[in-house]
Amino acid sequence: MARSVWKGPFVDGYLLKKAEKSRASGRNEIIKIWSRRSTILPQFVGLTFGVYNGQKFVPVNVSEDMIGHKFGEFSPTRTFHSHSGDKRAVRAKPAAA
Amino acid sequence: MAAKPTRILLGRIAGAHGIRGEVLIKTFTAAPETIGAYGPLSDESGTRTYSIEHARATAKGVVARMRGIADRTGAEALKGIALYIERARLPAAAEGEFYHADLIGLQAVDGGGKPVGEIVAVQNFGAGDLLEIRLAGSSRTELVSFTDQTVPEVDIAAGRVVVILPSEPEPDT
Repeated sequence: MARSVWKGPFVDGYLLKKAEKSRASGRNEIIKIWSRRSTILPQFVGLTFGVYNGQKFVPVNVSEDMIGHKFGEFSPTRTFHSHSGDKRAVRAKPAAA
Repeated sequence: MAAKPTRILLGRIAGAHGIRGEVLIKTFTAAPETIGAYGPLSDESGTRTYSIEHARATAKGVVARMRGIADRTGAEALKGIALYIERARLPAAAEGEFYHADLIGLQAVDGGGKPVGEIVAVQNFGAGDLLEIRLAGSSRTELVSFTDQTVPEVDIAAGRVVVILPSEPEPDT
């Protein structure tokens, strides 16, 4: 059953404070978080979070497409290693804040 | 740094499919049905070559028709064969793009040239590509975003990438 709209998205309160502090510092830093359940809000776009997966902090560069998803969706707790094949990696420009 | 492999594994024949000589292939390509797009494939020893005449993606994998295989018995005989191509046959990557096969094995150094570790994998969990680096002198791995900011320089010919590890915010006082 979907969450009631009147409640608004769930975000752990400390994330907002951390994000605000990081944005104010203007440095290239990873915000370590354990709150996988928190919803990604528009004010997080452009920041990089390190989302804990039980072993390590997975870097998550927040972009506009990710708004409304949960942080945990981008930090799998089980990793699957495959052969490289012809896959390509794209070196991204840092997301605009 | 280990020598870069000149051949790349693109798939493995999982078994026969149907009675007309088609085979089921488990592919490692970005788009499964493109396994035959780079020309003939060779086996692990490089002695035998296989040409894919037609391939289609299914829920189980790619079903392909191989040249010279017309019946199920012939298809069953190919089960387990690994399919390779020469690295040189892959088309040039676009600006800002890098083949995973080229990145894996590169040495990661910091801005001052001090070794950080070695790239062991390239991951993507939906929030951009990540380089998995095995730290020097440790079995531990770290994930680093593959962006211009954190990886300002990629020199495949020299076998190294420059990695600027992001700082952590100061703790609350």
